[in-house]
Amino acid sequence: MPLELLTWLPIGVWLLIGIVVLVVIIFFSYFNRFAVLGNRIDNSLSQIDVQLKRRTDLIPNLVESVKGYMKHEKAAIKAVTDARKALVSAEGMEKKIKANNQLESALKTIFAIAENYPNLKANENFLELQRELTTTEDKIAYSRQYYNDSILAYNDLCKTFPGVFFASIFGKKPREYLQIAESERKAVKVEF
Amino acid sequence: MTERIDFRDQISRNKLKSFFLMFVIFVVIIALGYVMSFAYNPDLFFTIMIFSIIISISYLLISYYNSDKIALFSVNAREVKRENNKLYYDVVEGLTLASGLPMPKLYVMPSKQINAFASGRSPKSSVICVTEGALEKLDRRELEGVIAHELGHIGGYDIRYMTLVAVMVGIISIISEIFLRSLWFRNSDRDNNRGNAIFMLIGIILAVLAPIFVYFVQLAISRKREFSADATAVKFTRYPPGLIGALEKIKYGNSPEKRINKAVAPLFFANPFKELGNTHPSIEKRIELLRRM
Repeated sequence: MPLELLTWLPIGVWLLIGIVVLVVIIFFSYFNRFAVLGNRIDNSLSQIDVQLKRRTDLIPNLVESVKGYMKHEKAAIKAVTDARKALVSAEGMEKKIKANNQLESALKTIFAIAENYPNLKANENFLELQRELTTTEDKIAYSRQYYNDSILAYNDLCKTFPGVFFASIFGKKPREYLQIAESERKAVKVEF
Repeated sequence: MTERIDFRDQISRNKLKSFFLMFVIFVVIIALGYVMSFAYNPDLFFTIMIFSIIISISYLLISYYNSDKIALFSVNAREVKRENNKLYYDVVEGLTLASGLPMPKLYVMPSKQINAFASGRSPKSSVICVTEGALEKLDRRELEGVIAHELGHIGGYDIRYMTLVAVMVGIISIISEIFLRSLWFRNSDRDNNRGNAIFMLIGIILAVLAPIFVYFVQLAISRKREFSADATAVKFTRYPPGLIGALEKIKYGNSPEKRINKAVAPLFFANPFKELGNTHPSIEKRIELLRRM
């Protein structure tokens, strides 16, 4: 019975309808793919923010637990609180990453100095915070990595065929990776 | 000096190979049915195909939907909480950020071997289980490598894929089985001309060889997905030495486990049996490829 439907119109017309349907489906799928990959980029960017916030939230506790033991290390402690302020007020992902690197450097100094204070090293709270801060640093690295991966997937779609054709129709342009300033590429120094 | 390979190319290359191998199995199904339909009548072909597809799919759907529960139950795994397993949770969480996958449920199984497996029909309902041995003997980077490999399986929908392959292999087994058994009940005065006899002979040979052949193809597919998962692990961690370290500890440290159900073995990170047919590539080959990434 379905075969009778085919006799309603000439076969050429059915073919044309088939092609039009196919083209519409392809259009939809590429449009959606661009949307999904674009959303993924935005989402992964906010993920980096989540981890950065977690980091700044941990700092006040750390300063409190350290202040009692390291009364004379005022410069080191100030470096940490200043770096935290800079991170909180930083705007735009590049500035935030730069501020985070600053904070990481200040923290490394504090943790190195802590080696000289056995009472502090035995403090459970301090150890817990140290562990948490290391973990969040890893997570920031992973979030940045995923952000760059998602940009790569989007750019691949924009530049390969036939995506490049649809990209120009929908007005989609390749996106930029997170830039690291040349000065930041040098190893983080610990200063006493 | 061996040349470097890119982990992304590894992933796509192995996925492509596994698709091709699955296509080979599909061709075998068609060939088997085609030959048999000459030996018998074509309507029988359709009936047998549909019958075997229904059986195979039902059986595997049931085990697929419960694959995680079955696997966890068979190895005595217990779910673990964050409070007692901070390292485990931290490692997995970091990797979920790197992979964009949702957080799976975490389990531990009692075993002195270093091993791990992932199960579940989709990333949203996935589980990861590691052995006590893995948590004790691996350092943080090595544990990350192992878990990244498992997340690679989850993200690559390997469990779903291997189930699909198992369905197709099952169909071939059933068709062959039906064909061979039906030989006992043939009417000898029908279809006695030469043409049918030739197809009958080809049919018998195929029915005997096909299940064996596709079994090895299935193993080959499993190996390709393992390579793909290794490469995905590198994509997530960007640190091949972690995974290499874990593999080396397994190579020198693991002794064969007796209690693991054979059906679950292919899911594991490393071959829990030394003699099991090769669902996993050799550890040496895996390490060699990882060193080049």
